[in-house]
Amino acid sequence: MTLTVIKPGLQTTIQAGPRVGMRHLGVPASGAADTLSLALANRLVGNTSLAPALEATTAGMSLRFDNPASFALTGAQASADLNGRNVTFHTTLAAGAGDELHIGPAKAGARVYVAVAGGFVVDEILGSASTYLPAALGGHKGRALREGDRIAVGKSSGTPAQHETPAEFRPPVSRTWALRACRASEFMLLDDSGQERVFDTNYTIGQRADRMGMQLEGASFKLSSDGRMASAPVFPGTIQCPEDGRLFILSADAQTTGGYPRVAQVARADRHMLGQLRPGDHVRLLWRDTRSATDDLRAMHEYWREWLPDIAQVV
Amino acid sequence: MRSRHSSETLDARILACGDDMLSVSLDDSRASQVLADRLRDSGDWLESVAGIDSVVVQFDSATIDFDAAKIRLGDELKQAPDVSDDESALAEVPICYGGEFGPDLGDICEQLDLTRDEFVALHVGRDYRIDMLGFTPGFAYIGGLDDALNVPRRKQPRVRVEAGSVGIADGRSGIYALTGPGGWPLIGRTPLKLFDASLADPFLLHAGMRVRFRPVGRDEFDAIVRS
Repeated sequence: MTLTVIKPGLQTTIQAGPRVGMRHLGVPASGAADTLSLALANRLVGNTSLAPALEATTAGMSLRFDNPASFALTGAQASADLNGRNVTFHTTLAAGAGDELHIGPAKAGARVYVAVAGGFVVDEILGSASTYLPAALGGHKGRALREGDRIAVGKSSGTPAQHETPAEFRPPVSRTWALRACRASEFMLLDDSGQERVFDTNYTIGQRADRMGMQLEGASFKLSSDGRMASAPVFPGTIQCPEDGRLFILSADAQTTGGYPRVAQVARADRHMLGQLRPGDHVRLLWRDTRSATDDLRAMHEYWREWLPDIAQVV
Repeated sequence: MRSRHSSETLDARILACGDDMLSVSLDDSRASQVLADRLRDSGDWLESVAGIDSVVVQFDSATIDFDAAKIRLGDELKQAPDVSDDESALAEVPICYGGEFGPDLGDICEQLDLTRDEFVALHVGRDYRIDMLGFTPGFAYIGGLDDALNVPRRKQPRVRVEAGSVGIADGRSGIYALTGPGGWPLIGRTPLKLFDASLADPFLLHAGMRVRFRPVGRDEFDAIVRS
């Protein structure tokens, strides 16, 4: 069982769950930038939540199913068709041998996930099948997919039942986002006005936006020190304030250490949203203290457990 | 004897780093390494990562309350890290200097007003300790470079630097475990296989490890690669 890439689009990679417990070796999390959408796609085809799937970025992509397959699409808002007939997101879909799937450019959101029943057959490296492009690790030969690549699909345990994601479990995708965030360890290095403005600014995502991180434009911050500090651990969701005063949010491929003050940290419950931010999107950071952020996370898990029983492994 | 007072002093070094991470400030990279290793070995944390003068731990906030994690970390800090000079093995890292392996060595020597031999003598002339792994998987930051060898990073990073490449920048040596992009001026390459995905512990070098460099010629480099 295989599928063949016809047009890879801007950047399509195989992504699964993150790499965990290896940051001290310099190994980033990587994995789906939007783990919730990955899990929702896998749910519709009977795979485990963090099974490897395709992550296609903004510009869309095309592929051909070389064998009959069940598949599902989630994530960014985009149109898609199978042999020219429109197909809907958040539904279990059936493809015949030779059928071609075209995913159009995203109107909102940044990444579409394509899960296929049986998942993709990819060797795990350092505990995950996910592609980490900067070091050419994991996924399909450690790289983004190219035209003509044939990707092996695993055996599924029978035809998955027809599902639709219930409306209340379809994450909203728009061009405007509110991310809950906590203060991080160098928050106090921001000057007084900066401490007030961090959580009270309408930011715009800059042109530099990829799996490693994104620039937050629309405000400039001053640090009370000269901004230099010894390299310290950073994580997906860490918001740094470099010397130029423009904030930078790290995403799934965040390097393991960085030398810029860490002024805020996107709350765990909202880190999956980072995978759908794209240049031009409007973002606000909503301040939460650590206790209310934890309460929010647990309430979110409680809500989602009905559809995704292992939500606590996903978000 | 640890008094209540001293535990409060240690707690003051713990900072919140978001809703599921805590940072501990420490004096230097050695103390950070030792503490990060001990916290990782405790099994209480999802990640335990050392920076140059701090450690950050991540916990599962779905099941562990923030305050409980902070108390646990404070308890684990009561035992001061043992940073006494250890007798841990000294890893020897052979380096073939210059040529195609060290394309920036000529420029660096010119910049520092050193001959190639003087440069190599200064670089291999002392033992080092690996400060941390970071930047990219397995990349080793090795501090303690002779002051005479201080050069900045390249203005234009290279798109592709081969695994095993050794660079220097800002008072440190750096060794690339994997092939990838990189901005450190390159002085040579080690024939050691620094990353082997088939091993349970895939990286040869680790933070805290003591290393000594040894200059090797191209023949010995090739012989080590073959062995």
